Amino acid sequence: MNELLTSLRLAWHVVARNWIVYRKDFLANISPTLADPALMMTALGFGLSPFIGQIQGLSYAQYLAPGMIATTALFTAFFECSYGFYVRMTFESVFKAMLTTPIGVREVVIGEFLWVFIRAGLMGGGVGLVLLVMGLLPNPWAVFVFPFIAGLLAVPCGAIGLLAAAKVRNINQFQTVYSFIIAPIYFLSGIFFPLADRPILGVIVQISPFYHGVKLLQMCAWGRWTVGEVLTQIVILLAFSLVLGLWASRKIQAKLTT
Amino acid sequence: MPLTNTAPPAGNAAATDAVIRARGVTKIFGGSPALQGLDLEVHPGECVGLLGPNGAGKSTFIGCLYGVVLRSGGDLEVFGFDPAADSRSIKRRLGVVPQENALDEELTVVENMQLYARFGGLGRDEALPRITELLEHMSLDHKRDATIRTLSGGMKRRLAFVRALLSDPALLILDEPTTGLDPAVRHLLWEKVLSFRKAGKTVLVTTHYMHEAELLCDRIVILNRGTAVGAGTPKGLIDKEAPGYVGIFPAGSEGNLRAAMDPDWQLFHQGHQCCVRAPRIEDLIVLQQNAGLPALQLRPSNLEDVYLKLTGMELDADE
Ligand SMILES: Nc1ncnc2c1ncn2[C@@H]1O[C@H](COP(=O)(O)OP(=O)(O)OP(=O)(O)O)[C@@H](O)[C@H]1O
Ligand SMILES: [Mg+2]
Repeated sequence: MNELLTSLRLAWHVVARNWIVYRKDFLANISPTLADPALMMTALGFGLSPFIGQIQGLSYAQYLAPGMIATTALFTAFFECSYGFYVRMTFESVFKAMLTTPIGVREVVIGEFLWVFIRAGLMGGGVGLVLLVMGLLPNPWAVFVFPFIAGLLAVPCGAIGLLAAAKVRNINQFQTVYSFIIAPIYFLSGIFFPLADRPILGVIVQISPFYHGVKLLQMCAWGRWTVGEVLTQIVILLAFSLVLGLWASRKIQAKLTT
Repeated sequence: MPLTNTAPPAGNAAATDAVIRARGVTKIFGGSPALQGLDLEVHPGECVGLLGPNGAGKSTFIGCLYGVVLRSGGDLEVFGFDPAADSRSIKRRLGVVPQENALDEELTVVENMQLYARFGGLGRDEALPRITELLEHMSLDHKRDATIRTLSGGMKRRLAFVRALLSDPALLILDEPTTGLDPAVRHLLWEKVLSFRKAGKTVLVTTHYMHEAELLCDRIVILNRGTAVGAGTPKGLIDKEAPGYVGIFPAGSEGNLRAAMDPDWQLFHQGHQCCVRAPRIEDLIVLQQNAGLPALQLRPSNLEDVYLKLTGMELDADE
């Protein structure tokens, strides 16, 4: 128990380090994660909405809205844990010095997850507030759970980033991971179009943690949820987080120790 | 069998008191061995120097000591803990100046040190005075708000020392602490290491500078291809491995020298030059006359001679 608390306290220091570095370049750091969903909302949501009509009784902008929170969570987590972690590990040698202190690889990994959980939670929550102001949330109360869901969604996405960071041999290879893993799960997880009448795709996306996070966000944003369904999605996300998190942790362990 | 020639400091004679105890430590990187049965002991209050050519395994061994390199075999204890099992207990008492500085380049000096103070378990209130004190010690106080990226190489190195000393470690590990530094900074760092030792602390240092090793270390272990090929006090090593005096002669004088010298003396090369090792300096003076060759230099044997001999880089002229 004591050991676990020590571990968490040290992991928290890793979060503090990332925050101190992050806030140095605050504007540059938050711009893409906020600007992308805003542009997407303008171009697709408002631009296309008049032509599309209703989807499942929602305007296209309303349909798209929860996906913007998922977008923020995914990209915050993936880029932070892939490029971000790789740069910290390789070019900045941050961990070479950190691992001479009581911090171990486990704390480094837990710290990274805590960091993306908090960051994605805050950013997702922020996007949620913007959507609220724009009047795109049929269920306005959802703004209170968005940070939690965005944070939870960020953990498995971050784990994919860490796995990529452990795997790539140079920084350009992240492009491949993006093209073949991140982009497909992003575009095909029901953010842009409903999967209800697509039986094959509907089954395939089940293996992506992102899909379950999107489901959860949509249920909350549209106010179409049952306790059973929400709990199911949360459990699935937690399971993905655990499995991918442990897997990533092992890979990073092998990467940071020789 | 450990290659320890000197007795540990009085009062710490029990073997279990060793700060570092390595027995037959091996490390194999994908088939090629970096450490091959290394034996080494470091006792409390000692400064031990680890010398050896590039790739001898010095940094690998240091990595083994705090668990970032997982040894492939052998027994290893640091403060009585096995680094593979409980590296945190070791790291709590350890300060490391790694071969690479690995500082957070975008942070300011104080920001970076505050972070590391926290990593090391210092509270907010203790941290700042400690940082200020150490920065002053290292003549870095005027840079406390500078971004690390803007510091010179020597300043970064000094900052890496500050970082290692923040949590007042019992053991300081220095991996090539003064490589690439100007003489003034080097002297400053030596002074700090010596005063750290005066406080009864333990030091393990790797270096390629023989002078540095002689100045700082009570005991030296020479590493070659992952094993200890010699160990002892600097003086003990010289007396044992290369006693006497060395005359250095121009390239190509082997023939003349061999004809004129005592067959018991040693004739060898250091670089292009021909060297003769004889028991007394007078022997070499006579040799100059008999061979009709003025020596470029006559000097007492030094640690570098021992190092070159034991690492096989002092080429025997007979081969
Ligand atoms: N991570 C690694 N993967 C594979 N081989 C490695 C790794 N680290 C070190 N080695 C190899 O192990 C051997 C010992 O390297 P090490 O860095 O310990 O040498 P060193 O004595 O510190 O040398 P230097 O004086 O150049 O710092 C070398 O042959 C090196 O190539
Ligand atoms: Mg080295």
